[in-house]
Amino acid sequence: MLDVLLNPMVLPVTIPVIAGFLCLLLPKALDRVRGFVAVVAAALTLVAVWPVFRGGNQVADLAGWVSLRIDGLSAFVLLATAVFGLLITVYSVGFMKGKARLREYYAYVLWTLGASLGAVMANDLVLLLILWGFLGITLYLLIGIAGPDAADAAKKSFIIIGGSDCILMLGVVLVWVKTGSTRMDGPAMALGSRVAYVAFLSFVAAAFAKAGAMPLHSWVPDCGEKAPVPVAALLPASLDKLLGIYLLVRVVVDLFTLDGLMKGLLMLIGAVTVLFAVMMALVQHDMKRLLSYHAVSQVGYMVLGIASGTAVGIAGGLFHMLNNAIYKSALFLCAGAVEKQTGTTDLDRLGGLGKAMPLTFAAFVVAALSISGIPPLNGFASKWMVYQGIIEGGRGGRLWVIWLVAAMLGSALTLASFVKVLHAAFLRKASPDVARKNVREVGFTMWLPTTILAATCVAFGVLVHHLPLPYLIRPAIGASVDFTGVWGAGPATVMLLAGIALGLVLYFLTSARKVRTCQPYIGGEVMSEPYIQGVARGPSRDVEVTGVDFYQTIQDLPLIHKMYDLAAKKVFDIYDVGRGTAMYFIEALRKAHAGLLPVYLTWVMAGLLVILYMLMRLWG
Amino acid sequence: MYYGDIIVQYLVFPGMLFTAVVGLVTSWIDRKVTARVQMRVGPPFLQPFYDIVKYMIKETTVPAGAPAWLFLSAPLIGLAAVSAASTILWRALMVPSETFAGDLIVLIYLLTMPALAVILGSFASCNPLASVGGSREMKLVMGYELPFVLAALVPVIHAQSIRMGDILSASPAVAAPSGVLALLVAMLCMQAKLTLVPFDAPEAETELTGGAYIEYSGPPLGLFKLTRAMMLFTMPMFLVALYCGGIRFGTGWLDIVLGILKYVGLVVVIVLIRNTAPRMRIDQAVKFFWGPVTVVALAAVVLAFMGW
Repeated sequence: MLDVLLNPMVLPVTIPVIAGFLCLLLPKALDRVRGFVAVVAAALTLVAVWPVFRGGNQVADLAGWVSLRIDGLSAFVLLATAVFGLLITVYSVGFMKGKARLREYYAYVLWTLGASLGAVMANDLVLLLILWGFLGITLYLLIGIAGPDAADAAKKSFIIIGGSDCILMLGVVLVWVKTGSTRMDGPAMALGSRVAYVAFLSFVAAAFAKAGAMPLHSWVPDCGEKAPVPVAALLPASLDKLLGIYLLVRVVVDLFTLDGLMKGLLMLIGAVTVLFAVMMALVQHDMKRLLSYHAVSQVGYMVLGIASGTAVGIAGGLFHMLNNAIYKSALFLCAGAVEKQTGTTDLDRLGGLGKAMPLTFAAFVVAALSISGIPPLNGFASKWMVYQGIIEGGRGGRLWVIWLVAAMLGSALTLASFVKVLHAAFLRKASPDVARKNVREVGFTMWLPTTILAATCVAFGVLVHHLPLPYLIRPAIGASVDFTGVWGAGPATVMLLAGIALGLVLYFLTSARKVRTCQPYIGGEVMSEPYIQGVARGPSRDVEVTGVDFYQTIQDLPLIHKMYDLAAKKVFDIYDVGRGTAMYFIEALRKAHAGLLPVYLTWVMAGLLVILYMLMRLWG
Repeated sequence: MYYGDIIVQYLVFPGMLFTAVVGLVTSWIDRKVTARVQMRVGPPFLQPFYDIVKYMIKETTVPAGAPAWLFLSAPLIGLAAVSAASTILWRALMVPSETFAGDLIVLIYLLTMPALAVILGSFASCNPLASVGGSREMKLVMGYELPFVLAALVPVIHAQSIRMGDILSASPAVAAPSGVLALLVAMLCMQAKLTLVPFDAPEAETELTGGAYIEYSGPPLGLFKLTRAMMLFTMPMFLVALYCGGIRFGTGWLDIVLGILKYVGLVVVIVLIRNTAPRMRIDQAVKFFWGPVTVVALAAVVLAFMGW
């Protein structure tokens, strides 16, 4: 037993699980140590992952279906998971300080980390299924930590994720029936038969629910808004994306061989996810909820890349997954810093944070430009590979134009929604709430992870051919694959940097060297002193653009308006639609349960007859 | 050596300096024609150059309460991006065989960045009028980006390649009906990208007193104006390259003159539209781009697939 637990491949799972128990058992008096223990455990996990990452392809058959495997893909996802686990644990120490239920929090976080690492290494569908289910439970518990407010969000997440686990189970059973094995390193299954399609779609559904693609996305915004920020950054923004997309790639590349029909379906889901989620993000008033919709929208790009079936597309999808985890956790952690300092993430009650929290602001700007795909940041590099994948994969067909336009328009709309956040939270004048609180920058355990992540956005974009591609992405999809359509980040970066440098020189040579500060000019209107300081009460006379009415003109457009109306009625939320449908049948069934013994006996007899008939048909 | 070459090309020819000079000359044409339309004499040839120099010696002010670093660096982003776009475009025009795959997408992205620079700058101005201007600019970008991308894909479908070099070597898209439609769509989008009348709601002098630029003065404002002049050169040139076969070098002076004529033709259309149309409200503009313009762009794409 012990040598199994200490097996180098099992160690990344053992360490966080045991440390989780330790965090749970530490007495309350040692609350200060708890965070430290968690950080050390997460760091040790990363140390344990490193040799596995470097170790190349290996399989460890431990007992029965407990079989682990490392190949390029899982090694890459394994490392990414461990790194994000560590960063978010560090951040948690600052954010969760003084909050209730710390012992459970750290235990669940560490268990999530352990189970995720295990799921990535699983070489048997049964093992994968068990760990997948376990992750659903820890997700439920982690969201619930935020208190009674989050109970609904936790339940919704649990039902969607749990439901998709059941579907995954169906897929596993079908694969077992069809091939007689649940091992994942067997030959890929050909699509074509009905059973194979159902099995394929079951796996895809599980991957989509985890990653948050439409139509199984609706738990992500609720979770992002209600759960504690590090949880939102840890799960929907990074770990669950890594796992969901990992499973999708495994399914599309290793377990099945994709055919044209399924490819088209996946592309369609990807394109719809990109556009719909970003349209929803545009009109959100809450920073965390807005970010969560982007967490959904970005999955669309990954799906588009992976479903293209081309090497550059799959590489782009994986790279985008990694980049998304980087900038999305940076954005969530910035939102957390804002919440910590101001007490709210409501865009209408924020403002003026650009000066009050310069480091958080700078990190947010970089991450926001990155997610919007502005060259030369990392988001552009991976989106560009996805575009290449769409074009190459669509050769000969015609639908690629739709996918490409959806992806590129999605990019512009992403930029638009982040412009709104930048304006409403950071750049417009301080709201009364913010001005009264005299907001300052957060402590270093909170700004350090965000700035590291933002710096990584720049590094992965500028040095795309030197850092992420050769060391992470190429090994992940097999070193033999060569893809041509990779954007030459070097020359363009040099150009942009040279341009900005020249501009700075120009500033230095001219009067911009010493600037004079003056009051804003509002077309002759006079700003009252309290207005300038941002403490004016009541309606002001000015034409302030707030987070609410920023895209009102867009919202009021004829067809768009209808879509938002439907969305407000939750027509696109599978949870509410499913609940409505279920209630309809429950009502019908309820009528059958009249509480009369003769009625029940009749039902029992009828059931017996049906079973008898079935058995006779089977034997006859 | 490799990067040294790139920097020289970027800063001098065909990048920043060249684009700035031609852009300022084009802005002189714009001002002169506008003046003639309005029965005025118009500025002397060197006036745009005098203006830029004068901006450089004026005082720089920063509005109170704004993050100065973002306020001052916003103009640099736009300038750097338009110069990079021009460099990539002209390298493709001069040596079509040496372009890289997918440079068209890079160009579309780079040509959006000047708008982003204006938006960031206006939001960093801490001024409600600038905020209105910036938000309008963003909505305008959302509006024209959809038809613009669709229209830009028409030559891609014709040439069956997303490489600028292949598009330039193939027969011009405008020879086919789909290419004509796409060019019309792209010209409307170009007008909006340049925020010229009827799509000048973000600046709207009579209403927002300059909107996005209201707080800018001195060198930063000069750089914004320079960026606009450079866009006035790069955007029509991009359309000439995409739809009209570009400028062919090395096949005699007649082809070069022909290329310049195509460019001047587009500029004249821009100037005429801007002098004869009234300003659209921002919601009208977005509705216009997402409605009729997108329908026409879609029609062009369908026609292109049918081989027309």
